[in-house]
Amino acid sequence: MVNLTIDGKQVTVPKDATIYDAAKSAGIKIPILCHDKKLHPFGGCRMCLVEVEQMKGRQIPACTTPVTEGMIVSTMTPEIIQARKLVLELLLLKHPIDCPVCDAAGDCDLQNLTYEYQVNSNRFQDEKFQHQIDYQNPLIERDMNRCVHCGKCARICDEIVSFGAYSFINRGLEAKIGTEFDGPLNCEFCGSCVSVCPVGALVSRPFKFKARWWSLNKVKTVCSYCGTGCQLTLGVKDNKVLTTVYDENQGFHNGQLCTRGRFGYQFVNSDKRLKTPLVKKNGKLEEASWDEALGLVRQRLADAKNVGASSVAGLVTPRLTNEELYLFKQLFNKGIGSDNIDHSAGYAHDALTAGADESLGYPASPASISDIQTTNLLLVVKTDAYETHPVLGFEINLGVKRKGVNLRIVSDKKGKLSKLPNAVTYVHKPASEVLLFNALAKVIVDEGLADSSASSLPGYDDFVKNLGACAPTAVAAQCGMSADDITALARDYANAEKALIMLPIGLAYPGHGKALAQATINLALLTGKIGKEGCGVLIMGEKNNSQGAADLKVHPVAGGLDAMGILGGCASGTIKTLYVVGENPVISYPNRKKVEAALDAVEFLVVQDLFMTETASKADVVLPACSFAEKNGTFTSAGKAVQRVRKAIDPIGMARSDFEIFNSLYSTLGGDSFKGLSEVFAEIASVVPSYSGFSFDGLDENGSVYSVANKPRFIPSVVDGQESTTGVMALVTGSALNHCGTLSLYGEGPMYVCPEGYVELNSGDAKKLGVEDDQPLTVKSSVGEVKLKAKVSMRMPEGVVFAPYHFSDMSINGITNGAPVTWVTISK
Amino acid sequence: MSNAPAEATHVEETPVEEIDLGPANHVIDKYLTLPGNLMPVLQGIQDEYGYVPKPTIDLVAERLNVYPSQIFGVLTFYAQFHLKPRGRYIIRVCVGTACHVQGAPRIVETFFDKLGIGHAETTSDLRYTFEKVACLGACGMAPLAMVNDDTFGKMTVQKVAEIIAEYNQRPMK
Repeated sequence: MVNLTIDGKQVTVPKDATIYDAAKSAGIKIPILCHDKKLHPFGGCRMCLVEVEQMKGRQIPACTTPVTEGMIVSTMTPEIIQARKLVLELLLLKHPIDCPVCDAAGDCDLQNLTYEYQVNSNRFQDEKFQHQIDYQNPLIERDMNRCVHCGKCARICDEIVSFGAYSFINRGLEAKIGTEFDGPLNCEFCGSCVSVCPVGALVSRPFKFKARWWSLNKVKTVCSYCGTGCQLTLGVKDNKVLTTVYDENQGFHNGQLCTRGRFGYQFVNSDKRLKTPLVKKNGKLEEASWDEALGLVRQRLADAKNVGASSVAGLVTPRLTNEELYLFKQLFNKGIGSDNIDHSAGYAHDALTAGADESLGYPASPASISDIQTTNLLLVVKTDAYETHPVLGFEINLGVKRKGVNLRIVSDKKGKLSKLPNAVTYVHKPASEVLLFNALAKVIVDEGLADSSASSLPGYDDFVKNLGACAPTAVAAQCGMSADDITALARDYANAEKALIMLPIGLAYPGHGKALAQATINLALLTGKIGKEGCGVLIMGEKNNSQGAADLKVHPVAGGLDAMGILGGCASGTIKTLYVVGENPVISYPNRKKVEAALDAVEFLVVQDLFMTETASKADVVLPACSFAEKNGTFTSAGKAVQRVRKAIDPIGMARSDFEIFNSLYSTLGGDSFKGLSEVFAEIASVVPSYSGFSFDGLDENGSVYSVANKPRFIPSVVDGQESTTGVMALVTGSALNHCGTLSLYGEGPMYVCPEGYVELNSGDAKKLGVEDDQPLTVKSSVGEVKLKAKVSMRMPEGVVFAPYHFSDMSINGITNGAPVTWVTISK
Repeated sequence: MSNAPAEATHVEETPVEEIDLGPANHVIDKYLTLPGNLMPVLQGIQDEYGYVPKPTIDLVAERLNVYPSQIFGVLTFYAQFHLKPRGRYIIRVCVGTACHVQGAPRIVETFFDKLGIGHAETTSDLRYTFEKVACLGACGMAPLAMVNDDTFGKMTVQKVAEIIAEYNQRPMK
């Protein structure tokens, strides 16, 4: 620690602190324009100049100068104030004073500092910049005339996003922030640059001219897209969510968001929202009152309860709050008496609900998000984790670039993070992950690299016996990796002091979920890399509350039907009433034809959703539900943080929250009526062991992370190998960058970045087929065929094609059947 | 570059401009493992093509694992790099103080007239690029012009026509 004096105040800070950090910790404000706590110090703007007695007469930047023992710093001498005024005068020389029409007004560092330092005249005169404004994309407007050259946009895009869209271009007076060849911006559109821009040079176009910054009501809540659990501040006015507001102090991610989080909020106030209940009359859905619609559902459920509760089933989306999911489960288990409930097609989260639960005794990850940056080696499986959980991808970026974390990606394709410094991507054959992990374990056992604790764990002998045929040389061909690579990876993992495995899961990654989770957990147990900082397996749920759904066991627990069983029951007639909440199985469950046939066959279908989805259009009763912005509650993130969701606007139209709807049904079916969320949360805390001790009103501002007690055991994981035939290609499905489920189809940001489905293939395969980007291709499997545009890329291996699953038109589930790989033929 | 990913491989992409990427790949191969290799690679590419063509920027970005925007930043920072094709013969006329008082502006004007191009422009047949420069360091010979490495001192308006006539006869390759 270092002691210094700032403005007469004694300050003690760590020795790697800068004067700016030290002042901040002492509550002394030093003005900044180019400094950001997330980025490396830059020292470009000269606003933070201070005087240090030991460096007589010199004015030095506080943001780049490290503290030294005994330093005496003055931050507000008359000379310093004069110097800062000069900096502002020089900036205002070029900066257009168009504050009345600038969206940054009120949230503009330059404006605020000009006001604070009372720069009401300028001693200099010059022409303003005459740069063209970039209007080429609908999300980010770039007006370089307003730019103050702080470089934060270029730095955040490099340091955290690793896209590198911007750079300083040209020299001297002509220098400006520009893109490659000074063209229009063409990037991932995460908007990180907009969030850190201190002025209005980069603004969000969807928010342009919507409201003055100071008139927005700012509501802190949690993003409702993926399982990362990013905290979000919604900017609200007149019952409309108009934007997301950047807050650098929010969450583990310091306010960083991806495209869908920052630019995907428009679904909340979408014109397409369902505003009234609908009831099918003469084969057509017609507007109805809540009394009528809910009465029909209530009657149906009450009747079923009397005849045979097992003919009722429910499918629910893990996008609901914990309180709603709990009520849904109560409604079915206790109110109706049916165990036929499931979420996310059953398989999407079986890595948690079955895999981790059996191996460790709880359905959650034996790791948390903070482990990403404290580990030594990251082993990311299935994808590079960036396209499914972009903000966790930022965390990986930071870990690799700042903390020297070694990144190993094991996937059937490369990803953006494959390009990180010293990252190694092992591209294996699709669906061979389990075999590969068994081979890694085999190497570790055979080379004596296992931890001494492993052999005393239950199941060890069976586990080792099961590895018998998994020597690297024996499985190399099946995995599509060389035996040397497998051995090297196993040694790297075993020899790393701390190692974390990351496994993204979800609807688009069918098959092997449970087996793969167990294979990864086995590896962690074998090397003793579990239950310690920077170690474990982070299983990343797809949806905002996937972890909550797993914690609450929203799946059959007493012999009821799972999702696939429920759809089978609908088709065969054993399920007569199906209650679908927020799920859109027609698009997102495997085998669209089969799903549609099942939904057409079921006697009575209730769908509760925000939108008239393909599934809702088949319903007998449609109930309009509330989005996350219209309700209070809690979500649980992939990192096991239970976080508060806060109501930002009143319900749209006649929509009601899922909580209200379930509560009303439950109470009339003989259950208790809950008075409020705190009461339900208290009950959850008493039933779910990991939530015990938490209370609704006592949750931490940044989320309360629950801890888990490992009851580990080895469970041998085995899956059937798959062999392709010649002329056939392997189709793997997945998440497109910045889409999440089917909800993102109603968000402007994700739909601009990726408006439609595509099939991504290797440039060599494309050449063989004679196709180029955007040309239509017919993709045919044993289940059906779809027409999709080609996307030629460098990241796919030959013989493997990729398709995202989110889109309703030409949905990829028209050709998939729930297997990890779909064998397809592709033609022009 | 030291932080290139372990799997950086030789890249062949369909170029927008029809150029042969062979020489560029050759230059990159030469410097691939050298730390801080961006400058020598870009200089090598400019030596090969006479300028830095766009497809080579994408190639360098991919193979050295540097953002294209940053390469563009480097290329536009240094005066030595050119993003457009340059003439076979670079005519440079000094407009420094000594040359200026000896009548350099008239020499410049005459070149403009005869070549039909302005400062930092290239003739459509790619034979000449004309540049005004601040000082060529031979004030005793003012006014001074250079064509590639050949020096012409005590320039006159008549000599401009002679130089152009002579270089019109020279080969293009």
